[in-house]
Amino acid sequence: MAAPDLLDPKTATHNSKPRLSFSAQPVLLKSPDDFEPRVTVMRWKTVLSVFLLVVLYLIVGATVFKELEQPHETSQKLAILVEKLEFLEQHPCVNSSDLENLVKQVVSALRAGVNPSGYSSNQSSLWDLSNSFFFAGTVITTIGFGNISPHTEGGRIFCIIYALLGIPLFGFLLAGVGDQLGTIFGKAIAKVEGMIDKWNVSQTKIRVISTVLFILFGCLLFVTLPAIIFKHIEGWSALESIYFVVITLTTIGFGDFVAGEGERRQHEENSGGSELEYLDYYKPLVWFWILIGLAYFAAVLSMIGDWFRVISKKTKEEVGEFRAHAAEWTANVSAEFKETRRRLSVDIYDRFQRAASIKRKLSAEINLSPPVNQQMTPGKRARSVNLGDEREVYPYTFVRNGSLFLNGLIPDYADHLDITKTQTK
Amino acid sequence: MSTTFRSCFVPTGFILGYIAYLLLGALVFSAIERPVEETLKSDLSSLKAEFLNLSCVNATALETFLEKVLQANKYGVSVLENATLPTNWDLASALFFANTMVTTVGYGHSTPLSDEGKAFSIVYALIGVPFTMLVLTACVQRLMHPLTYGPISICQRRAGLQPRTASVVHFIVLLFLVVLGFFVVPALVFSTIEETWSFLDSFYFCFISLCTIGLGDFVPAEKPGQRLRALYKISVMVYLFVGLMVMFLVLRTFHKLADVHGWTAFFQLPSYEEEDEDREPIIEQEPDDESPEAEKASVKPLDPSSQVSYNSINR
Repeated sequence: MAAPDLLDPKTATHNSKPRLSFSAQPVLLKSPDDFEPRVTVMRWKTVLSVFLLVVLYLIVGATVFKELEQPHETSQKLAILVEKLEFLEQHPCVNSSDLENLVKQVVSALRAGVNPSGYSSNQSSLWDLSNSFFFAGTVITTIGFGNISPHTEGGRIFCIIYALLGIPLFGFLLAGVGDQLGTIFGKAIAKVEGMIDKWNVSQTKIRVISTVLFILFGCLLFVTLPAIIFKHIEGWSALESIYFVVITLTTIGFGDFVAGEGERRQHEENSGGSELEYLDYYKPLVWFWILIGLAYFAAVLSMIGDWFRVISKKTKEEVGEFRAHAAEWTANVSAEFKETRRRLSVDIYDRFQRAASIKRKLSAEINLSPPVNQQMTPGKRARSVNLGDEREVYPYTFVRNGSLFLNGLIPDYADHLDITKTQTK
Repeated sequence: MSTTFRSCFVPTGFILGYIAYLLLGALVFSAIERPVEETLKSDLSSLKAEFLNLSCVNATALETFLEKVLQANKYGVSVLENATLPTNWDLASALFFANTMVTTVGYGHSTPLSDEGKAFSIVYALIGVPFTMLVLTACVQRLMHPLTYGPISICQRRAGLQPRTASVVHFIVLLFLVVLGFFVVPALVFSTIEETWSFLDSFYFCFISLCTIGLGDFVPAEKPGQRLRALYKISVMVYLFVGLMVMFLVLRTFHKLADVHGWTAFFQLPSYEEEDEDREPIIEQEPDDESPEAEKASVKPLDPSSQVSYNSINR
């Protein structure tokens, strides 16, 4: 089961840039000679012992699978051979029902994992030790090619139990291998960065360069080189080799192409497929490559996931920042708007007062007594009372209060102009 | 209010993006692979006609014929007359294929035949697999609150259990429910729908699929003449995705359990890290109860890192 914890918040807080190496700690630029063992990384002895344990587990599994599956396979082989002989003995005027029967047998034999085509009947068993080892490997790495699969009930039950224990075990191993790989790569990167440091390149550039180096080097070592090897040994095309490598290392494992199970491509001269001759150490080497390649691919995938997470976090941050800015801007604008309106109303009131005082002066000159029968609205009374006050107090006080109503000065001014809105705030 | 809305919005957005990605893959695969499959089918039928016209059948001709039949069968194309196998690349099947690819299950019952299909699968897988992992992790992190932290703190408060005991009890109950709900019940359903599958076969299929091994010896909805095939395939897809999420949940719960009991510190494994800071704890007391234990247990492993599953490297 593949589950990188991609939404790891703590690494996000530690470094906002995406992690460029999968070692336990980010590579320190300042101490390129830092070779002390890191506390959080499994020591190599532990890794070695876990590796041996996994190999032992695989051997045990292979033996059990072989014991369970091989008898079943032999009986199926016999059945298909008998069918073939009968078909050949019959008269060549073949009718369609016979043909259908043959094909049905072929298909069911194939489902049982037997290849009925091919000249020799002494084909290697699909469940001999090395193939069973390979099968056990595909189970615990969860690749699951499927070109071989258990067909007996016992085999299937054992497969379930085997996977339940084996997958976490392989998980530990992979974590350990990944740590070792990360340590090695981290040291190499530190050395390179130490060299580049003399050129006074910015840290971002160094990070970018180290990521690119990591991806390129890893691709070369774990993808391109094996693909070339497979192309030559298995006879696949270049695309098919790369396809096989990617599908295997992401643990998808379709099984249409499997290293070590191939048949040579049918050329014009051959009329049937013949099994390829593999060297003895080919299959274990393939399994070892799968192990390290899985660690590399897991690192690449988690790096891509890191990028996703950082992008989404950055987007969230940016959206949050944008929202904060927008709120700030709105608050500023409305505050300014209020201020402007208030100043405007102060200005207008001031001018009105001046006009009113001029008017009073003129009326006083014309008619000395103040009009008695004039209806004294509270506002007018207030105004007449406040006539003696210094006029410069008014703007001052209501600038201080920020509200025209507080002095109770001009309610009917408020009636005229719709200034009440500003006051309620 | 806004943070809870956001923490609901992000997984939903991810899920929608995931569904869109699957649909895209399904459409592309369908467009690329259908013509090639048709060609292969017609080739096979002409070969069959040729074979029937031969007056004398010799061994080499038979071998050639068998070879071709096997090749076709490997790609899911059958030459049998009465087998009206529908195409492997209609929309529902292609969607199913894209889902199996992106969750890394990879049955292999239908695989891309053309070169363009293979090239596209490479790119699709390289982008889709980490994206799916991201989606699943986000959903699981969201689910941990109601399904793990909530019940554990309820256990602690109501029953007055210690955190260690509460987590063990909770884990056992969770495991039991998961096995019942995601293995036994679907196995029963599958064994009823698929005529040739026994209960053990269905259970084996559920296990192999949910561990993403995906051998491909059993694939649902592959029988000829299956009724409501598209609906069946899509419901199997949903079951696989939800089941995978639940498996991750169980794994994380187990990791937290191991942390609480100090096993991760003992083995110097990466410790369990808490969730995003922008998630509000549903129950406020709960972090106070769990974090002292977690902090005690995680004294030795310094760095925060992911769970121990084999696609996560120690960070």
